[in-house]
Amino acid sequence: MPEALKQAFDLSLFWEYRAILLQGLLFNAMVFACAAAVALSVGLGAALLRVNRLLPARWLGTLHVEVFRNAPDYIMLVWVHFVLPLLISKLIGQRVEFHPFLSAVIALCFVYSGYFAETFRAGIQAIPRGNLDAGRAFGMSEATILWRITLPQVVRRMLPEALNQFVSLFKATTIVSLIAVPDLMYNVSMVTQQEMRPLPLYTGAALTYFLIIFVLASGVRAFSERWRRKILA
Amino acid sequence: MPEVPRIRVCDIHKRFGTLDVLRGVSFDVERGSVVSVIGASGSGKSTLLRCINYLEAPSAGEIYIEGEPLGARVDERGRRRPRSLAEVNAMRRELGVVFQQFNLWPHMTVLGNVIEAPIRVRKLPRREALAIGEECLRRVRLIDKVSEYPARLSGGQQQRAAIARALAMRPKALLFDEPTSSLDPELTDEVLGVMRELAADGTTMIVVTHEMGFAREVSDRVIFLHDGLIEEHGPPGELFEAPRSERLRQFLSKYRR
Repeated sequence: MPEALKQAFDLSLFWEYRAILLQGLLFNAMVFACAAAVALSVGLGAALLRVNRLLPARWLGTLHVEVFRNAPDYIMLVWVHFVLPLLISKLIGQRVEFHPFLSAVIALCFVYSGYFAETFRAGIQAIPRGNLDAGRAFGMSEATILWRITLPQVVRRMLPEALNQFVSLFKATTIVSLIAVPDLMYNVSMVTQQEMRPLPLYTGAALTYFLIIFVLASGVRAFSERWRRKILA
Repeated sequence: MPEVPRIRVCDIHKRFGTLDVLRGVSFDVERGSVVSVIGASGSGKSTLLRCINYLEAPSAGEIYIEGEPLGARVDERGRRRPRSLAEVNAMRRELGVVFQQFNLWPHMTVLGNVIEAPIRVRKLPRREALAIGEECLRRVRLIDKVSEYPARLSGGQQQRAAIARALAMRPKALLFDEPTSSLDPELTDEVLGVMRELAADGTTMIVVTHEMGFAREVSDRVIFLHDGLIEEHGPPGELFEAPRSERLRQFLSKYRR
């Protein structure tokens, strides 16, 4: 037993393959960055539909949120990578395939846009009406009010919750190896097949993820708290 | 030819569902004059003010700013057409509003609040907006608070910042919606002081207020609103000294006690 433990924490093998593993980690980062950027934009769009004056727009926003927020990451990933291209192929009568990276970004963007939409909606609805009245009274257009008055406040208010969602999204990028995106986990399993020593490799991967998420989340949390306090004192 | 009034309120009605809040209110505000609107809670004062700059579109009637209708325009064939939101926005920027709850934007500094609309709406270059902003903040004696955030100011300071923000748009008139109602008595005076100075400088103002002393001392005319109608109006001396209607007498007696 102690020998097994020693083996698990002997990360020299992990370190030996650092170049290829780092490359995998960069893929995680890329999937994360792309999915986060698209999910934020789509989430904002869905939130604006959710608070729209028109009933059909509100329905559409709610449909988006409920469908994607309640879909497990894994199912969505498989569905987008294997089923969606088939559906499109049948529709246009031509064979279509998605690059694994694209599927990963689309699937994670769908799921997390549902979460972000709800965070945005709560933030938008928390802005006091008087703030918007003041903008309107000075003759600001609705777009100016959204960009200059609503969103900057929403972003500050939603930061803590959004931060948790970013962390979840980063964690979720570890499942993209299932559809052969060459991320850290994918490369770890490749190396494992060659070296036949899963313990140090998977432990190294786990520690790497933990450290990255812990350091980034603590940094962003401290920064966002200082930023929020300025206006919500 | 008589001068066109700065603001003409013409037979304004406002109905929320089955509730008639305003039932035909008309009055003129001449250039450089101060009109105070008084009345009990629920008499329609705040709704009237919100209708004047179309934060609430009147159900009927029209507001004219220097003879131009705010909510409609007359087309080439002489027909009245409702204005688009963009056109209403272009008109309403001529009226500065000071709200009861200040409504400063909490994520901007005091100076940021003051220069925002001049830059975004009037499209002034930043440098020019800054110069105007600082001048307005000096006028309300807040020049030492330019880089503070609203959350760090007292209520009186916030309201003076809100007045500076309205002034920075160089409006044709200022509308005050119970500007001192959410302030402690000791902070009320600093705001009323600034408003007195504005009135003395010839600023055209409509003030919805519960401050009878202010209405009496500063206004050129006072309007007493009751149940969505003007019950009585006239120079403050007349209204406060010799109210004709029983309702105004009763209303004023509450303030004399």
